[in-house]
Amino acid sequence: MKLSTVLIIARKEFRDVLRDRRTLLFMLLLPIAVMPVLLIGVSRFAMSQRTAKESRELTIAADPMGRNLLTSLANRWFTDNLLVLGVVSARLGVATAASIDELDELSARAETLKGGQSKKAPDGDTALLASYKAFQELTPEQVRFLGDASAISRLLKLTSWKTLDELPEPKDGKLAQGVSVPEDMPGKLGEPRVAAAITSKEKAVHAAIDVPVDALLERLDDEDIASSIKLTVLYDSSQSLSKEAYDRLETFIDALSRSEMRLRLAKQSLRPGFIEPYDLREANVASDSRKLQAVLGGLLPYLIILFSFFGAFYPSLDLTAGEKERFTLETLLLAPVSRLDIAAGKFLVVFTAAITAAVLTTTSMALTFRYGVLPEGASSALQLEFQPLALALAASLLVPVAALFAATLLGVALCARSFKEAQSYAAPLQFLIILPAVAAMMPDLETELRWAWVPLMNVSLLMKELLKGNYLWEFYTITLVSMLALAGLVLWIASRLFQRESVLLRT
Amino acid sequence: MNDSLSPTSFRSALLMTEVVIASQLCKTYKGAKGSRTTAVKDVSFGCRAGEVFGLLGPNGAGKTTTLRMLSTVLTPTGGTAVIAGHDVVGDPGGVRRSIGFLSGNTGLYPRLTPREVLTYFGRLYGMPDPLIQQRIADLSRVFGMDDFLGKRCDALSSGMKQKVNVARTVLHDPPVLILDEPTVGLDILASRTIVEFVQDYRARGKCVIFSTHIMGEVSRLCDRLAIVHKGRVQFLGTLPELRERAGADLEQAFLTVLEQST
Repeated sequence: MKLSTVLIIARKEFRDVLRDRRTLLFMLLLPIAVMPVLLIGVSRFAMSQRTAKESRELTIAADPMGRNLLTSLANRWFTDNLLVLGVVSARLGVATAASIDELDELSARAETLKGGQSKKAPDGDTALLASYKAFQELTPEQVRFLGDASAISRLLKLTSWKTLDELPEPKDGKLAQGVSVPEDMPGKLGEPRVAAAITSKEKAVHAAIDVPVDALLERLDDEDIASSIKLTVLYDSSQSLSKEAYDRLETFIDALSRSEMRLRLAKQSLRPGFIEPYDLREANVASDSRKLQAVLGGLLPYLIILFSFFGAFYPSLDLTAGEKERFTLETLLLAPVSRLDIAAGKFLVVFTAAITAAVLTTTSMALTFRYGVLPEGASSALQLEFQPLALALAASLLVPVAALFAATLLGVALCARSFKEAQSYAAPLQFLIILPAVAAMMPDLETELRWAWVPLMNVSLLMKELLKGNYLWEFYTITLVSMLALAGLVLWIASRLFQRESVLLRT
Repeated sequence: MNDSLSPTSFRSALLMTEVVIASQLCKTYKGAKGSRTTAVKDVSFGCRAGEVFGLLGPNGAGKTTTLRMLSTVLTPTGGTAVIAGHDVVGDPGGVRRSIGFLSGNTGLYPRLTPREVLTYFGRLYGMPDPLIQQRIADLSRVFGMDDFLGKRCDALSSGMKQKVNVARTVLHDPPVLILDEPTVGLDILASRTIVEFVQDYRARGKCVIFSTHIMGEVSRLCDRLAIVHKGRVQFLGTLPELRERAGADLEQAFLTVLEQST
């Protein structure tokens, strides 16, 4: 093998494949574009879907009397909590709500402050800066109160009510498949038309609630009655909006419960600890960046492996089967160069394409995070910081991966007569790659030493650990050596194929 | 007596040396399920410097396989050939340096320009860059390629492509030129350019092996010829010898040889 000849061949092949649109697309454009599109697009879409769901007006069916009682209970919650409301509003710099209808202002402010909690306030806006600070310093009870206020306000503002009586009978008297009315439903909830209305295609109502009016009135008269009042919500957990209606009712009732409980305890001169003997506090040592690395640590190796394959795919097919199809392979065989030189030149190009695609994927991903064109709140958490040594080790793993892909694809595609035939041989290889590559995304799969012997799976797992800052040297050594050995073996086989005229000239 | 040879005697001196010697070439392919196909059974001939040697035969006779073995793209399963002193089996690199080969299977890179293709092959032949550019300029003049040297090959007509292809085969000025049906699919103008080029190349004392179906080209170009059929040489000799053996009409003579072939 002559290096100068190999370089002459590689240089020409580079020029050739860089003029091929498909190669450019898969080697350059896709890795660059897919990350921002995937990360920004998907997260924005998910977030907008969530916002749309949260701000959507939902229809809940109840008896008129029951509905009125729920409103009265909400009003009572408001008057009971005026004092806390005043304090929290003042701290966050919002005017205290004069009526329950104005509660949403406070909720909106709380949402803004929560979303931008780790952001810096613009220079000079000392009032806003103070609010951020105040928000951070709220007591857990006050934070919980803000949540309750939102729950109360949301149910009142974003509900369109229907009476249970006006729900139509189901068409042909049947319920949809998989729908049944649970047993022991109180009041009208046991009637099939309620379940039918919730599950109908028209989505006439999202949920229905039964409020035991008599029991509730009795309790309002005599507050010493301590039995629980059973409210029943009928909904369809398989539909997200119906689930959302249930959640709204649940948080609403929780808010009422909490408030009444506080009052009762105060009346008995008891402290909250009386009914909450234990209080578990969650304290996480992982920073936002660390939490994110745990998630991305799995995604990144997968994408690197996949895009490295994509990067190698078209050039390898183009330079072998594609050349057979264009009758240029035989022209090259006539030049006074050894077939090993030709194989090496082509390998060098495909190998570089695989590396380029993988590097571009990573760079594009890093840039997307750094210049966080991400939705508010997410970007600050995404300050990825990888150690240079970890990056260098991860990059070293890319060498055998790219070599393996380049050699495999060149060998497989060389056996084909045409580009199309090569595609049908090479495309199924994707599945062989996705399976081990996806290993790092399996949350419960521990990085045990035995996995270091499984090609690609070892790279995927090890990259994840490296990005988390775990240097598993033994694992690394086995992975690197075994992958290099495998890539070398496949490369040897591919180079043998390049020496066989029955393969080279199969047309 | 004069020291220098007259042109005629120079040519006759060259004709004494055979630069291409094919001896008992044989090529057998392994097929599916262990079956064997013999494309070339026994082909022997010699070609001299300063002559155009014609290789004739019907489709499937084994012409292209024979020429591919001479070009070292295929390795013979039996026999061998020596080209300009290099053995096709023992020294394929030396053979490839000594020949220019053109066939229907030698395409140009569609995404490169003729200049890029020629430069690439020049470098593969180990020629220095200034020499390559000089050769490209010379050949461009001979074939009239100036207008399309910078266009991508996929934008060229088949006549233009064939000119570039011939230019590629003679870029390194090889002593032996092997052309497998070089005028097929070309218009009369492009064919003529190629035929004239072959005559010029012979005049420079080179050996040209030329396979064709066109009898007009045979009679215009070939000094000697071999008719190959059923994997064997059925006739080897000059045109007058062929006429003497099989009749005055060339096409009829050719058919007669095929009918008598073993």
